[in-house]
Amino acid sequence: MSGNQTTAVRNFLFFILKSVAYGLALALVILLFLPNVTGISLPSWRSNAEQAEPPPVSYARAVRLAAPAVVNVYTRSRVIDPRGFQPRSIERQELGSGVIMSAKGYILTNHHVVSGADHIEVALQDGRWLEAVLIGQDVISDLAVLYVEADNLPVIPQDTELDPQVGDVVLAIGNPLNLGQTITQGIISANGNNGLSSRGYIDFMRMDAAINKGNSGGALVNTNGTLVGINAAAFQLQNQEIQGIFFAVPYQLAQNIMHKLIKHGRVTRSHLGVSGDAVVNAAGDRLVSTGQKMYGLALTAINPGGPADEADLRVGDVILKIAGEQFSDTRQALNLIAETAPNTELMLTIDRNGQILEVPTIVRELRRG
Amino acid sequence: MKMKLSVLHAAILAATLAVPASSVQAGLPFFTSDKQEMPSLAPMLDKATPAVVHISVEGSREVRQRIPDALRHFFGQRGQGELRQERPFSGLGSGVIIDAAKGYIVTNNHVVQDADKIQIKLKDGRSFAAKKLGADPQSDIALLQIEAKNLVQIPLADSDKLRVGDYAIAVGNPFGLEQTVTSGIVSSLGRSGLNMDGFEDFIQTDAAINSGNSGGALLNLRGELIGINTAILGPSGGNVGIGFSIPSNMMKSLVDQILEFGEVRRGSLGIRGNDVNSELTEALNLDVSRGAFVNEVIPGTAAAEAGLKAGDVIISMNGNRIQSFNELRAKIATLGAGRKAELGILRDGKERKVQVTLQQLTAAPVTANQLHPMLQGATLNNSSQGVEITELASGSIAEQVGLRQGDVIVGVNRQRVTDLSELRQILAGSQGVAALYIRRGKEDLYILLR
Repeated sequence: MSGNQTTAVRNFLFFILKSVAYGLALALVILLFLPNVTGISLPSWRSNAEQAEPPPVSYARAVRLAAPAVVNVYTRSRVIDPRGFQPRSIERQELGSGVIMSAKGYILTNHHVVSGADHIEVALQDGRWLEAVLIGQDVISDLAVLYVEADNLPVIPQDTELDPQVGDVVLAIGNPLNLGQTITQGIISANGNNGLSSRGYIDFMRMDAAINKGNSGGALVNTNGTLVGINAAAFQLQNQEIQGIFFAVPYQLAQNIMHKLIKHGRVTRSHLGVSGDAVVNAAGDRLVSTGQKMYGLALTAINPGGPADEADLRVGDVILKIAGEQFSDTRQALNLIAETAPNTELMLTIDRNGQILEVPTIVRELRRG
Repeated sequence: MKMKLSVLHAAILAATLAVPASSVQAGLPFFTSDKQEMPSLAPMLDKATPAVVHISVEGSREVRQRIPDALRHFFGQRGQGELRQERPFSGLGSGVIIDAAKGYIVTNNHVVQDADKIQIKLKDGRSFAAKKLGADPQSDIALLQIEAKNLVQIPLADSDKLRVGDYAIAVGNPFGLEQTVTSGIVSSLGRSGLNMDGFEDFIQTDAAINSGNSGGALLNLRGELIGINTAILGPSGGNVGIGFSIPSNMMKSLVDQILEFGEVRRGSLGIRGNDVNSELTEALNLDVSRGAFVNEVIPGTAAAEAGLKAGDVIISMNGNRIQSFNELRAKIATLGAGRKAELGILRDGKERKVQVTLQQLTAAPVTANQLHPMLQGATLNNSSQGVEITELASGSIAEQVGLRQGDVIVGVNRQRVTDLSELRQILAGSQGVAALYIRRGKEDLYILLR
């Protein structure tokens, strides 16, 4: 009796599951091929849905998540007045923004906001004013790390796997012209160089969300409120008014630099002292065609006295691997070298006139200027 | 049994069919597949843009020019260092039809100020002369009327429901170009402090607003009016993504007053105060970091009647959060005399609600540079003895000539002054030079204005 019952229940459940599965499959097919049919076939359902009006599209959620973690940065410094005949020391105040990166109190901002400052203060959106200590700064990436001591700090949402695309909607959060916190909207116009070999502004991410003086060091977030970059500057050319081209330090680079600054107080980049071109195939043909993998980096110039010169590398050599690692583009190769600690021996695998050689090379720190 | 089962089968199938279909309907226009139409504002704009009009004005206004000291000799002494001239001017702007049947058009006061002739051009090409029904310079709103048939109006949105991050679309005639639509988001709310005399509670937006956009519409994605575009902030005078718009709710209450009384009857609460800041929060152990702090309740006013006390923090008005004292000030002033408002206040750590009925602001505080250029930076108010300087900006011209906060002007040029209108009259006829007879505490003194 009870066995019969179980079978009946099982049959019934199976029957319902089957119906649901058919229904879902049919719905999927209809939606795929006749996307407009829903309005016609289900008028009663639609009118119900319309009565409860859908909320208008808004980035309010992203703002709510990210905005509290963006702070106003105020700096004071004493400088020599360039005007006037007598050298005179005057107080200069600078304005910027910053992003709280961790609950421990580390804040990312721009190097140019805090450079030369004697005194740095940050204002949180909840009204708190905190004195900040400069932990370290890096001129090339225009970044600086500040530290504040406080509890209950709002932290910007972050995603280390973030893969921003050109065309993504982004929001810039900061304190332009000291108006108070302001959100502006745009899209990613060009992705930057995420790696340590980034040469500064020309390699930064570009976007068109309006930023002004005071936005520097503020957050660029996506529509989930996740940090995409640190707003840095507007593109400027002498005597020309340019709008809609702004630079931001890509998030991957920014957090890489931040960790280095917290750990060592400064950022070191190594170099080989070479110029090179990407070689796409083993025949040495440099024509880039899609689908072809990069073969190596052909050296076109070698700085006399540089690390490559010391290791006796020659013009025409093609670097195939760096410390056993292959690379898929020039940028990756440069990043591999830049990330290596200075004065470390790197084993380079090269192709010299068809002969594969291993050349030990000691990389040196790249000095700016 | 077989029959019953197949009916059940069909019902479940239909139900499961309906569920995914409806969830697609609720999707946002920005997440579309290839099969659907491209997301576009065009359908909404088709309905809304005919309600945004082009305004051109002509008139003449007095232009004052300072004469350089070196040239003053040639103009004699009567000019007092100033050259006054009536100069004809023409201007361009935008406006929004808010009532199609009656032909009501809202614009900025600064678009139509001093205009003798106001011409409205509709998007369909028709052109009409407009009549000015009323204006409020301090909040920069003016109401016009045209007589025309087949107009299109824009419905008003509840601007108190706006959130930072909402889409905002500006429609207007920048630089006198044909109607232009720009898009952005709400960058911030409750902005004030651009013009100290004004009543400001701006929506800030990064939708590009330029000269000529003034008076035009700021819309939400439904095509409803959320604001009247009014001002921008930019180092070079062009747009840098910082524009300001008067919220539709504030505009509506001003327009209602103009229609009812022919003028704006400013509401008055009767408090003095300032923003809640971190020092205040610490000193008084407050739980909030935003709001309007009440320093003083003036006896006999709406605030006193409602039982407000010094030390209260006003954190909301009619259910909407108040961020700053200026925001409260603008909302009270523009809501209008006689209107009721519910204030949320914080007293001794407890929240409570207070009903107030706003009184009419009898003598609006006057910023004094309208009376005399040397009084710039002083705010004047009627007092029992004469005209009191209730506020004085530090470093201002008025402070430099020797005026102090709390000074009471009791006479000018040997004539007794009892209120602002008398002061205005005498100064207007004084040809620039005026000797102010001041009572400061127990002493009396003269201060000369040139």
